[in-house]
Amino acid sequence: MQTQQAEVGAGAPGGAWDRVVDLVSRYPVTVITIFFIIFPFVVPYKALATQIIIWGLFALGYNVCLGYTGMLSFGHAAYFGVGAYTLGIVLIRLWENLWFGLACATFMGAFTALILGFMCIKRKGIYFALLTLAFAQLLYFLAFQWVDLTGGDNGLRHIPAVPLPLPGFTVDIQDPLRFYFLVLFFVVLALMLLQRVLQSPFGRVLEAVRENDPRARSCGYETTNVRWMAFIISGAISGLAGGLYALYLHFVGIETLYWVTSGQILMITLLGGMGSFIGPFIGAGVFLFLEDVLSAITDNWMIFLGTIFILCVLFFPEGIWGSVMKLVNRSAGKKG
Amino acid sequence: MSEMLKTSGLTKNFGGLTAVNNVNFSIEEGDLQSIIGPNGAGKSTFFKLISGEIKPSSGQIVFNGNDITGLAQTQVSHRGIAVAYQITNIFPLLTVLENVRVAAQSRKTTFNFWSKAESHHEITDQALAILEEIGLVEFKEDIAGNLSHGDQKRLEIGIALATQPELLLLDEPTAGLSPTETRYTIELIKKISDHLTIILVEHKMTVVMEVSDKITVLHYGSLLAQGSPDDIRNNEEVRRVYLGGVKV
Repeated sequence: MQTQQAEVGAGAPGGAWDRVVDLVSRYPVTVITIFFIIFPFVVPYKALATQIIIWGLFALGYNVCLGYTGMLSFGHAAYFGVGAYTLGIVLIRLWENLWFGLACATFMGAFTALILGFMCIKRKGIYFALLTLAFAQLLYFLAFQWVDLTGGDNGLRHIPAVPLPLPGFTVDIQDPLRFYFLVLFFVVLALMLLQRVLQSPFGRVLEAVRENDPRARSCGYETTNVRWMAFIISGAISGLAGGLYALYLHFVGIETLYWVTSGQILMITLLGGMGSFIGPFIGAGVFLFLEDVLSAITDNWMIFLGTIFILCVLFFPEGIWGSVMKLVNRSAGKKG
Repeated sequence: MSEMLKTSGLTKNFGGLTAVNNVNFSIEEGDLQSIIGPNGAGKSTFFKLISGEIKPSSGQIVFNGNDITGLAQTQVSHRGIAVAYQITNIFPLLTVLENVRVAAQSRKTTFNFWSKAESHHEITDQALAILEEIGLVEFKEDIAGNLSHGDQKRLEIGIALATQPELLLLDEPTAGLSPTETRYTIELIKKISDHLTIILVEHKMTVVMEVSDKITVLHYGSLLAQGSPDDIRNNEEVRRVYLGGVKV
């Protein structure tokens, strides 16, 4: 779907597509919100739409690391997984309250990132990536062994289907469309908060650190702490996404914490394009849509998805959204 | 005038190589002192030692009466020492204004998540004043990486100035510049030296002779001579090892 639009953009420079890109770049949160309000009515089934925005949210959190700070983490399954397990465990054992469960999931995502980040953040590049991977795998094996708490290999089952408590009344959210809009509420909330943070003085330091870490340090910024903070914010959003995922499935599979999840979120983010709000959602949309279509045709859908991914990285290194931006900018450049 | 920076017995060994050897250097507040010497004389290493980028093997660095030996680069920056690097070291994808603004912001706030960066008018105004001073205000909205080499070198100085230093280390600010650009940078250095103490590393002797109050000559990591531009010009030994007998 996205590639089609890119072709239209290339064929008709200066057309409506230009204006769309301009609009998305200027008002990303508004455009994404409007798009995703319409979205569930145009996709084949609501569950796919829900999955796409949950993974989009996860990718948004991941992008705080990769796109906005330039840290390649290979262990984001940890924060997503911890968020998912936290929500499940809280709802099963502590309090059947949706708000409380999601707050705990977000907090535990952030807290895990705080602890693991502390141990990884001083290393850079490949060492950072490998350390994040190692710690995430550590959590995976911990969850695997701690059967009483996590259900081990069988996963965490029987997460209660809680209603949504609002002041004065409660809303049943078992209907797929209602659940979708609940998730969308959190996505929009996260987008608004993140936009605020990126425009803040801290957001500017983040940019400076990504652009030139040694120079930022020589300007007097403790860049290690700045990156650590970005890592924690990333962990919080990933934890929230994990919590929503558990709420959606009423179940947490052990593979949520597995390194494949970390690889998948990296793929989604690269596919969509780093360093923008919309990129991760496009990535999640394309990835899950292809997975949905291909897995219906063949059991070996991973081969085809992998091939598409490789082609994308080779020919569109900026991701789908990045390439669209480039095309539009180029045609705008020709005009001017 | 009081002594602003003083190094005593400053030494840095890289394995078997002594890059800086027992250097006793001092600069008075308000002065502009140049460090010259052939390639490999240890000038850049000397700068890195002062700015905290690398730690000395032995010796002491005293800044404004405080021992700053071994402090981290960030802390040295907050004490009031800034560096404008030889190899242009800017934030290439940020705008020209943002390059200077984010440097100026380092004096005020880092972990402020909520306010808008643009709402801190005093920081933006300060950045604009610096762009005015370095002559880049008309390019403020441009992406810094797209500036010409000469403009990037001036922006480099602007970033250093934005951290409101008391002591500015300028590492070859005219390297690779055209004669016109060099002229402009000389005037800029003269202008900022009115309110700043500056240590300058430079290869172009015309620049050094024109702007310096005092010159220090390094040779193989050791201090060879120190004095006014005229002293250095007439120093036989300096001529032999560095100026190559050329009359300047």
